[in-house]
Amino acid sequence: MSGALFALLGMGMVLTYRTARVLNLAHGESFAVAGIGTAVLITAGVPYFLAMAVATVVTVALATSLQWFVLRPRSDWPPGTLILITLGFAFVVRGVLFVVVGADPVSFPTLFDGRPIRAAGAVFPIQGIALVAFGLLAAAATALFLTQTRFGKQLLATAENPFAAQLVGVDVERARLVAYGLASVLGAIAGVLLIPLIAVDFQAGLGMTLRGFIAAAISGMSPGGVLLAGILLGLFESLVGAWLGALAQDPVIFVLLIAIAVWQSRKIRFGGGKRA
Amino acid sequence: MTKQLLIAAALAIGALLPYAGVPGWSLSLATVTAFTAVSLVGLNLIYGMTGMLALGQAAFVALPAYASGLVVKQGIPPALAIPIGVLIAVVIARLVAEVFVRLPGIYFAIGTLGFAFVVEGLARAFPAITGGASGLVLEPPIFLSGTGWYITALASLAFAICIFSLLRQGRFARRLKLVRHDELAAEVMGINVPRLKATVFTIGSAFSAAGGALLAYYTQVISPESGGVTNSVEALAMVVIGGSGSLFGPLLGAVTVNWLFSIAGGAGRFELLLYGLGFFLVILYAPKGLAGLLNYAWASVFSPAQSRHAQPVSLLDDSKASVSSRKANQKIGDVCLEVASVSKRFGGLQAVHQVDLHVRFGQIVAVIGPNGAGKSTLFNTISGLEAPDEGVVRIDGHSVVSQAVCERARLIGRSFQVPRLVPDLTVLENVRARLDQFALGDEAQNELEARTHLEAFGLADLAHLPAGQVGLGQHKIIELVRASAGTPLLLLLDEPAVGLATGEVARLAELLRDLKALGAAILVVEHNMSFVAAIADEVVVMDSGCVIARGAPAAVMQDEKVKAAYLGAIA
Repeated sequence: MSGALFALLGMGMVLTYRTARVLNLAHGESFAVAGIGTAVLITAGVPYFLAMAVATVVTVALATSLQWFVLRPRSDWPPGTLILITLGFAFVVRGVLFVVVGADPVSFPTLFDGRPIRAAGAVFPIQGIALVAFGLLAAAATALFLTQTRFGKQLLATAENPFAAQLVGVDVERARLVAYGLASVLGAIAGVLLIPLIAVDFQAGLGMTLRGFIAAAISGMSPGGVLLAGILLGLFESLVGAWLGALAQDPVIFVLLIAIAVWQSRKIRFGGGKRA
Repeated sequence: MTKQLLIAAALAIGALLPYAGVPGWSLSLATVTAFTAVSLVGLNLIYGMTGMLALGQAAFVALPAYASGLVVKQGIPPALAIPIGVLIAVVIARLVAEVFVRLPGIYFAIGTLGFAFVVEGLARAFPAITGGASGLVLEPPIFLSGTGWYITALASLAFAICIFSLLRQGRFARRLKLVRHDELAAEVMGINVPRLKATVFTIGSAFSAAGGALLAYYTQVISPESGGVTNSVEALAMVVIGGSGSLFGPLLGAVTVNWLFSIAGGAGRFELLLYGLGFFLVILYAPKGLAGLLNYAWASVFSPAQSRHAQPVSLLDDSKASVSSRKANQKIGDVCLEVASVSKRFGGLQAVHQVDLHVRFGQIVAVIGPNGAGKSTLFNTISGLEAPDEGVVRIDGHSVVSQAVCERARLIGRSFQVPRLVPDLTVLENVRARLDQFALGDEAQNELEARTHLEAFGLADLAHLPAGQVGLGQHKIIELVRASAGTPLLLLLDEPAVGLATGEVARLAELLRDLKALGAAILVVEHNMSFVAAIADEVVVMDSGCVIARGAPAAVMQDEKVKAAYLGAIA
């Protein structure tokens, strides 16, 4: 279950990073906005699917306007500042969510009812299985789209060399817009499917951003790899939780993250391989 | 001077504000804010001055408090435990810095962020030792009244800001600016970038730790959240809001945010939103923060008429000063640079193949060849940016292959194809940035040396302009001045004549001949053939990574192979 979550969020992270070269610290907010938005709408009496659809549309609108209206006009700013901008955006979203729902965690009824399946001494709620199935499916579909279709490859090309991509006719700004939109849809799927199982509060976004980033970093920002990395990471986290207790999960995962950051960067010198 | 007086007055009034009954600004809040500002001074050094995006600095705010709390449990008196706790935190910072400073760009941000998670998580994971989620209770070593604590806080803040203002001056600050702007150029100028960053990270974390320890003993409790990601990120937000890199930025940020939070208490649930919006708007529209806005207001009120752009100074107007004030190298004629069968391969591309090359003291050698011939790779191999797959590079008889870029910088002065000056340092400071590493004199002597050097190149009028306001053609010459500052044995000049007007090219040729007469060994990559013919003693022609011809300029240009490979490409 957490594997699917990692894979979904990581895929979104890879998408936005590979097209725009900016680490989007507001990525997890798509999870929070979609999930909490759905919960709020359902509580207000909006039908289930309509609520999910509206929340997802809002999420996509937010993510794309961040890219289009905020980041695009400033693409010549240093990356560090752009990262801080996404962080500021995440703060704003968090503030809005707090105004809307307050400090208490929210949730809503599960979409898939039915008796939990019992197997091998464990209990698997149907919603959880749905999360795993939908999540992996969506993440896998995105990976296929990126690596197999012409448009997907164009998306990735924009990151390697935006200028060259522009020269060969890729509309870089449109590619980034699509990437932000697509990434937020993936985040929204994760939010809508997970929140019925685990109630989350207004500040869930940053934690989700980090989970996504860990999966993305382990895979070396590759769309195919992040799927596998996400699943493995989910398994690993569960194992750590089972052996050492839930409290040990965060420290262990982040020590792993630091180790991976060091390993990934072993060949990069001078802030990303700039040549004289 | 009036500005300093005004600032001093504002600080004095500000310090008395808790007693003036300002709504929301209580004595305890002011004390907390002052301690917080001490920690933020450290973050300002790390992020504001050096540009290292540290997202986990709160870890070093909480660590000393936990460490000293645990030390007290071992029976050590609290008065001793506080400095021990700070020391432990600083040692940890020094150790993790060793890892973090080698992480490029976002990996540094994420690594530090991860560290904050680890600290917060560990504090939660061992309730028996750390008190778990409810935190660790700390007994202050002596009883202080509210005012006593406030005075302690103000004193420590004043101390922190004084140290910071010292660090902001002189060669240390120049190095930081160079590293912040361009790590590669910094390394080529002889700065050991990882070591400098580790130092900055350690000093910054010492501020964080000192402020954190005092704050924790003031509030008498340390909880996992104080070391966590949220606090780290909010600390960064305060620095940015106040004005990153500026002297009073951390103080302004901490005061503004804490006071707004306090009076927004009535606004209840809008608190976080206002905070988020404030941070977002500042970073979008006032990248220099409140301090930047205040400076701007000051400048527009008191010196509105000052022109922001200096007159462009042409290189040609200057008198024909020469470089001859320096004494000539005794070794003229000996081999300075020896490149012996050097090869470099990138994946399937043989960039440089078995290249041999000599440059003698008092000789100018030009490397020419079509694009992709391997000239830049050869340069990078000599200056150490690329390690050769095989072959040896010797300077003055000693192999430099095992030396890092910054170690070679003493021997090699290098200019770049696209000039890499720091735009917000003055021309003089840009030149000094290299002298800082090598010249033995004190600050005043180095400044004199840099100034003499600029004069010799006819750039004295530009010395006090920020490099960003000087024409790009002159950047080329300034780079040449910078590269030759501190008299390196070898000069590597990457297309020095590109982008210069015809008259400037002639002046450049003259300058290079002056340097040569003094015994400098000069290796030039250049496309401008008439320039090459005018200056070079020997021309080396490269194509597809190999040397295809060498000799006197006139002879080489008649060579059939050269015509086919290089000149033929034009015809």
